[in-house]
Amino acid sequence: MAEKGPVLRAEGLSKQYGARQVLRGVSLSVNEGDLKVLIGPSGAGKSTLLQCINFLVLPDKGQVFLDGREILHTRRKELCAYRQKVGMIFQDFNLFDHLTALGNVEIGLTRVRSMKKGAARERAVMELERVGLGEHAGKYPAQLSGGQKQRVSIARALAMDPKVMLLDEPTSALDPELITEVLSVIRNLVSEGMTMIIATHQIGFAGDLANEIIFMEDGAIVEQGPPAKILTRADCERTREFCSKITSPYGESR
Amino acid sequence: MEEIFFIQEVVPALLRGLLVSIQLIIPSAVAGLVIGIGVGGLRVYGQRWVAGLADGYVAIFRGFPLVVQLFIWYFGLPHIGIYLTPFMASVIGFSLCSGAYHSEYVRGAFLSIRRGQFHAAQALGFSRFGMIRSIVLPQALRLALPGCGNEIIYLIKYSSLAYMITCIELTGEGKIIASNTFKYMEIFLIIGAAYLILTSVAGSLLHRLEKRLRLPGFEHYSR
Repeated sequence: MAEKGPVLRAEGLSKQYGARQVLRGVSLSVNEGDLKVLIGPSGAGKSTLLQCINFLVLPDKGQVFLDGREILHTRRKELCAYRQKVGMIFQDFNLFDHLTALGNVEIGLTRVRSMKKGAARERAVMELERVGLGEHAGKYPAQLSGGQKQRVSIARALAMDPKVMLLDEPTSALDPELITEVLSVIRNLVSEGMTMIIATHQIGFAGDLANEIIFMEDGAIVEQGPPAKILTRADCERTREFCSKITSPYGESR
Repeated sequence: MEEIFFIQEVVPALLRGLLVSIQLIIPSAVAGLVIGIGVGGLRVYGQRWVAGLADGYVAIFRGFPLVVQLFIWYFGLPHIGIYLTPFMASVIGFSLCSGAYHSEYVRGAFLSIRRGQFHAAQALGFSRFGMIRSIVLPQALRLALPGCGNEIIYLIKYSSLAYMITCIELTGEGKIIASNTFKYMEIFLIIGAAYLILTSVAGSLLHRLEKRLRLPGFEHYSR
């Protein structure tokens, strides 16, 4: 049987802000059902990489392919169609403040996918229930906790039937006791076979679920491999140092 | 005798004037708001040259005294072959001036919307226009409402300038009666009170609108 090509592939993405080179020709690819975890110190370029992948930040160089087709961000229609297939979750949720939880999930369906009101509502309710927020559908973002907001944003992305999800530090802005609820939603997605790239510092979570961990520093991929290898016996000294710090933050290495 | 004159002459004249005033105010308020939202949007989201043009419009229409603008519309334009009725000249003058002020409030509201929401909308596949319509405008208008309401209250009062270009509205009728009867004090007090009623009604309508549109998370501008 011929092996399937990657669902999403980025090739040589580079980005420069002024004199600072934030991304230095990063390439990566995800196969269907894969979970890839980006780790690395802040400023490593993880966020920029994810944002370049769906062109929220325009890369200076490099290409992105979905199902083997190159995405040309200059073609507006094509870009919008591509973005519908790539769900994005942000560190600070970015819910639409004027809409209820239900409205947030619905609006992409009605306004972007031109779905009928009734069908959109049905789907939105289903997605909210899927993330355990059925009874909070009528609440506005200002009335939700951080964990609930992040779950709404996940429901909002899921409603668009994405092929891939990009999660940019989805739990970094949350209180410790709220992290669990969001991680368990993400865990469910993994078990349902959603293809994902996650930038996170939740190393235990990454170790459990990732197919591959990618360690980035200074705008480049330093090392990548299966969790067992990266977290315990990485080839690169710098990777080992970083991983020991985040796995035992209060250990003797500090 | 005096009472009869008052009831037969003054009241109908003032009511006639009031009606003209209202006919001036309502279309000017609506057109002003529409212009303000459009121009405010262009100033924030337009390409550089479009935003520059919009800025220029605002500078001119906020910078020229309104009376001078009205004189230009009514007395000036005929020199280049454009004849406007006093009423039309007034509505155009008020709308364009009001629009310039509205655009300032709208611009401020546009700028205060968290950028993260733009990213979220783009990531969902919204086009730029779709995003502005579905995400930005509903929030920005709520934020701009108190300022825009204020501008509408101003408009009610500066509509009194229409009589300067012979559009005889409330103030104009009053001026005529006052000059004929020398009852300046009485007439102008009545007219002042009429504007006070208009602004109060408008104020309470706007307040009600604000209350109706209020959402959790958008309360910070109200008591």
